[in-house]
Amino acid sequence: MRRRTAFAVALTATAALLTACTAEEQTPAENNEPIPGTLRILASSELADMKPVWEQVTKDTGIELRPTYMGTLDAIDLLAKDRAKGSYDAVWLASNDYLRLRPEAAEQVVSETPVMSSPVAIGVKPETVRELGWKPEDVTWSDIDEAVADGKLTYGMTDPSRSNSGFSTLVSVASALSGAQSALTDADVAKATPKLKEFFKGQQLTSGSSGWLAQAYDRRGDVGALLNYESVLKARKDLTVIRPRDGVVTADYPLSSLASSSQDVRDDVRRLTDALRTPEIQRLITQRTLRRPVVASVPPAAGLDTGRRRELPFPGNRSVADGLLDAYENKLRRPSRTVYVLDTSGSMEGDRLDGLKKALTDLTSDFRDREEVTLMPFGSEVKSVRTHVVEPEDPQSGLDAIRKDTQGLSADGDTAIYTSLQRAYERLGADRDTFTSIVLMTDGENTAGAGPDDFEDFYDGLTRAQRDIPVFPILFGDSDRAELEHIAELTGGRLFDAQQGSLDGAFEEIRGYQ
Amino acid sequence: MLLIGGVVAAVVAGRHTEDQGTATKTVRGVIGSEKAEFFADPDVVKALAAQGYTVKTEASGSWAMEGLDLKGYDFAFPSSQAPADELADKYTAQKPLPRPFYSPLVVVAHRGAAEVLAANGLATLGEKNRGTLKMAAYLDAARRDRTWQQLKGAEQYGELTGTLYIATTDPETSNSGALYLAAASYVANGGKVVTGDADVDRTAPLLRKLVSVQGAQQSSTDAAFRDFISGVGNPLVLVYESQVASLLAQDQSVDDLTVLYPDTTVNSDHTIVPLTEEGRALGELLSTDPQLRKLAVRHGFRPQGATAEFTAATADHTTYLMQKLTVRQAPVPASEVLHDMARRARGQTGDPA
Repeated sequence: MRRRTAFAVALTATAALLTACTAEEQTPAENNEPIPGTLRILASSELADMKPVWEQVTKDTGIELRPTYMGTLDAIDLLAKDRAKGSYDAVWLASNDYLRLRPEAAEQVVSETPVMSSPVAIGVKPETVRELGWKPEDVTWSDIDEAVADGKLTYGMTDPSRSNSGFSTLVSVASALSGAQSALTDADVAKATPKLKEFFKGQQLTSGSSGWLAQAYDRRGDVGALLNYESVLKARKDLTVIRPRDGVVTADYPLSSLASSSQDVRDDVRRLTDALRTPEIQRLITQRTLRRPVVASVPPAAGLDTGRRRELPFPGNRSVADGLLDAYENKLRRPSRTVYVLDTSGSMEGDRLDGLKKALTDLTSDFRDREEVTLMPFGSEVKSVRTHVVEPEDPQSGLDAIRKDTQGLSADGDTAIYTSLQRAYERLGADRDTFTSIVLMTDGENTAGAGPDDFEDFYDGLTRAQRDIPVFPILFGDSDRAELEHIAELTGGRLFDAQQGSLDGAFEEIRGYQ
Repeated sequence: MLLIGGVVAAVVAGRHTEDQGTATKTVRGVIGSEKAEFFADPDVVKALAAQGYTVKTEASGSWAMEGLDLKGYDFAFPSSQAPADELADKYTAQKPLPRPFYSPLVVVAHRGAAEVLAANGLATLGEKNRGTLKMAAYLDAARRDRTWQQLKGAEQYGELTGTLYIATTDPETSNSGALYLAAASYVANGGKVVTGDADVDRTAPLLRKLVSVQGAQQSSTDAAFRDFISGVGNPLVLVYESQVASLLAQDQSVDDLTVLYPDTTVNSDHTIVPLTEEGRALGELLSTDPQLRKLAVRHGFRPQGATAEFTAATADHTTYLMQKLTVRQAPVPASEVLHDMARRARGQTGDPA
């Protein structure tokens, strides 16, 4: 799979997501020139599963579709910054709820038409359902919370700051556990904080994308459940999918025109919308993607329970929505604990080291309260190990210290990748109360210390809990893709590309996995 | 920008009448989006062509039309009289304005929810799929933050929990959401239309509550109705009767949908603002041409004047539709007042913008 992430230069966090779930070539937005008869669609990443549907619609209408996949919240950011104009003809996100809270993004879209729907759900291993004695149709968010508090249930979910499924889950959980009877308020969030803290103790996996979350879940094997859209969970077939009885937030996938488009283009978008809502296509959608149809004459695919659920109201203003996200990142979720294994060998001298310093310095504004950050620069061996914690009482001093250490980095020596990784694992030990990971940034191949086979032996000798710590390698400079891909695969991590994209972009994207 | 100025293309292809063999006159108009399907209907295109017209339309929020430059257009066709009157003043269009058809606001619910409302004195149910929503009782419940759990009978339905409210579109951008505030404020103001600051102040807290409990609101009535039909969303949703009637006319299955007519409602008066002579002629045509009136009914609208067409066309659906409207029509406050009410109901405090 070739990555095309030139786009990342302008738009850091979004770039590599494009490649997360499809092997298709993606076109960088900057070169997204209009083509008559083709609609350029800015689409939520999970819509990659709509390919067979789109093919049929193209056959029916003659309209060619060129999707660019992106996390929903990143796409909204793009709209808000007025960067979609001229590069896209239509927007198709999981939901426009959050978009509406940002007027500068909302005014870019017109004529939203829901095309299909999927509620937030929890997919639980059938044996766990039995152990808990649950009747799936009766389970509430409080039941789930209780199972978590009793230590009987753990789960994985995507990062709400990046993924709409994570955000919808967060809103569902906060609404249900706060006992809010109507749209969430700041007071509801504050009141529910202790309960939510308890609930999020059960979160064992976080991810910037649904695809990697599923992989990590399979690899771990000891996590009981996944929180995601019903369609994603149903597609796995190995989980009992529960829509909690006390309510859900539903994605309704509105297809929207861009206000900046010409009349002809908007007419095509309308034709596309009409085609998507014909009974034939609605049937195809529900059967192929396990989302629910929006026309009454088409029943949901077999296995999708038709019992009604309360729709939990989505926050009506941005301060509540962003306040909830902020609480999640800085108070509710497990803190992250990361070792940055940073290549500062001789070859980094000059622009590369300057680039690294800038990228790391910029990244500090993104660190969350309670986060533990260890900088481990290496050359022929590990040069220093410096650990800082972003203390909620005084986040600034931790961040300042990280910046200071970053500025002090200097380039010399060979490249001892594996020896340094071993040091990182030794340092981390095992800690179930944090999201623990290692980021490996290198600009070259391994030239000193332990070799790949030594590292594999070392890794095999680690405890089970240590083996659950993934390495997220960053491809940069002259580093070897195969070598880094192997490290990612061995440790259950994921490779990020800063050769075609930028170092800033890669660091930023990894945030979703920490 | 408060109002969606977005314009949706609904260009009706120019056609020549087959029988007359003469070129048709092209008239251009800006219309409320709920009429886009009407103008795009091939039979409507044909009927207009038979009368010598090719109509090109663009859709816009009714309350956004006053922000558009209508130079070059022959008519504007908002969904309410208030924005129409404003446009008429601005462009010195001659009154009275043609009002070819209208449609009352209704609340859709599933049968279970409707029965719970009826059992608790908030509604009466007559026909199988139809009833009346008692607005005063509903507003009283809203004022007291009543939840579904507090209503007897709700426990049979898992989805009936949380605050009792009617989900509407955003009153700042969408006509139906604004008309909902018009109806609610009329009832809350003791059966008098809200006119001045004192009235606005008095009704503001209740309206604010009706809106804030909803959280994020849909921006179009079409989307809200779609969600309801697909089983998503709040148990009670405010839509136009025409949306329900149009669906029924297409013989689409509507499950156990129940139509609740608020006992005080507001009509969406689809009013033409003629900007040229051609526009005026088109307005007259839409009001009087039997074929076009019939087609309007097919799209769920009620033609002005005689009720025979609507009655005949909906004969099979009387269990859903109240053919002869026996509910009270609240007048709509002046545009400026309604804008103010909507703005205050949405609340500025939580908005970071």
